[in-house]
Amino acid sequence: MHNGYAIETKNLTKLFGKFTALDGLDMRVEAGAVHGLLGPNGAGKTTSIKVLCGLIKPTSGEAYIFGKKVPDRSILPRIGYMPQETALYLELSVHHNLAMYGELYGLSGKKIAEREKELLRFIALEKWKDAPVANLSGGMKHRVSLACSMIHEPDLLFLDEPTVGVDPELRASFWEYFGLLKRAGVTIVMTTHYMDEAQHCDKIGLIRQGKLIAEGTPGDITRGTNTTNLEDAFLALARRQEQA
Amino acid sequence: MNIRRILTITRRIFRGLRNDWRSLFMMFVTPVIGIAVFGVAFSGDVNSVDLVVVNQDQGYQIPPASVPVSIADAVVENFDTHVLKLDRVATEEEAVDRVRRGKAFGLIIFPENFTSNVYEKMMDPSLALDTTIRLELDRSNVTVANSILKAVSDAMLKASSAMGVEAPVTLDSSTAIYAQEASFRDFSVPGITAFVVFMLTFILTLLAFVSERTSGSLERLQVTPLRESELVMGYALAFSVIAVLQTAMTLVVIVGVFQVMVVGSILLAFLVIALLAVMSLSLGIMLSSLAKREAQAIQFLPVVALPVFLLGGVFWPVEGIPAWMRPLSYAIPPSYAVNATRSVMLRGWGVGEIWVDLVALFGFTVAFLALSVWSLHRARG
Repeated sequence: MHNGYAIETKNLTKLFGKFTALDGLDMRVEAGAVHGLLGPNGAGKTTSIKVLCGLIKPTSGEAYIFGKKVPDRSILPRIGYMPQETALYLELSVHHNLAMYGELYGLSGKKIAEREKELLRFIALEKWKDAPVANLSGGMKHRVSLACSMIHEPDLLFLDEPTVGVDPELRASFWEYFGLLKRAGVTIVMTTHYMDEAQHCDKIGLIRQGKLIAEGTPGDITRGTNTTNLEDAFLALARRQEQA
Repeated sequence: MNIRRILTITRRIFRGLRNDWRSLFMMFVTPVIGIAVFGVAFSGDVNSVDLVVVNQDQGYQIPPASVPVSIADAVVENFDTHVLKLDRVATEEEAVDRVRRGKAFGLIIFPENFTSNVYEKMMDPSLALDTTIRLELDRSNVTVANSILKAVSDAMLKASSAMGVEAPVTLDSSTAIYAQEASFRDFSVPGITAFVVFMLTFILTLLAFVSERTSGSLERLQVTPLRESELVMGYALAFSVIAVLQTAMTLVVIVGVFQVMVVGSILLAFLVIALLAVMSLSLGIMLSSLAKREAQAIQFLPVVALPVFLLGGVFWPVEGIPAWMRPLSYAIPPSYAVNATRSVMLRGWGVGEIWVDLVALFGFTVAFLALSVWSLHRARG
């Protein structure tokens, strides 16, 4: 562990041509915390996650996961990634999708079966185990995608908009499960643009135009901006950024 | 019908194209290149075909002339050197060996005392003297063989008319060195088989890999311990099995149903096509990195198919392409498979004769697989 942080970035910058997606991002995520990245579309949330997962090389700056400089293949078995897209094999069944990822992480057949049972219960899709993913609804696919990212019991979970398209009841059970994972010591980094959801996070980072404009607990941020909710806090911080 | 709504749709399509340089390239540049290659490559005649000449004729001093004349020389001088590239050797064995090794498409033999025999026979047609020019061809390429036959017949006519006499000369082309009974179908089927297997395997892999990218599953895989090389090899293995089955079925149809000539080992022909299939899938994976979505991938098809079709020797022999354009054929991987399959099926060649084609196919496969892995690494931009 690097200074007790699961993630640490230093002046992380990513340019796509002339567009600055990340502008000197300095971020720290404590191990075992649920960390939310909030911001409007195009703020740089997904780019941050992709850089941290080693999918995109930063233009400059550094990122560390568990003390190892990204990209480093040795950290891959310890992380789970749920992309924004469903990213599943539609022609395969739910079971085969889960089993494939289990095998890629080197799990035994027995372990895969155990994890599959547990995850299917969590995503409430036990009855759909053998159905082709193509036959599932959008929300169901999203749940299978989440399960695939957790099959190998990662220490660090990157979730890009995990609750989009999920109904309120299931969303509540997701948060319950994330709480269980947190208690088991799993670090969760998730992006969302639902400000109300951020209340569940231990800490949040507000991102706008590739810059981290505030970081702290939801309470810290609202107090620091003299507002009563995160939405107003974000708007106040955005105005400050414009004036600066 | 509302014209405004119709025009809205039309405008939407043109606006979309403005930001899609790949589609614009395919729409306007590909047809021009295709037609240009077609026009130049299919210029009409087979040309620069190697023919070995064995001229054993010593000539004959016809009275009252003081210098010997040679009808064989007269025929050779009248060969159209645009069509034929002559290679003179001393013995028949040497000439046969050259054709057998694929260094020439045929040999022509003027027998000893050819001119004197012709002269004697002109004087007395009842004499049983050898006045036959023997033309032995490699008929594995029917188009080329027919072009040589025509060029030799034309030269004989020209020589005869230049001498002002109708010489009692016959041309015997009944013996072929390879593929004696080959028809145009026998010639074209190996090429078509290679072309079909190449295109099908290429399309399947290209679309499967593009879909892996567009669905986001490729990104997810890249965050697992799976290495890019393992991903490419996994694909290569799966599609190789499919391609091998596809090849086996194709060969069963062409040999079993169409009864195409197979002089050599059908197993070797099968191995060549299977190797071509593996090469095709590696090309598919490599090119998939250039397409952002399936629609763009589809547009690659003419760009890949046209050169193979026009310059790969599928229907039109490479010898029919202008000599300066032939090096392009060597840059087209399926041309090696077409040549090797045809040589195995119609000439009966073995590994010893087609090893260059096999090495070339293998080399392209390794290079494309390596480039596929590199393109996946590069995608982590």
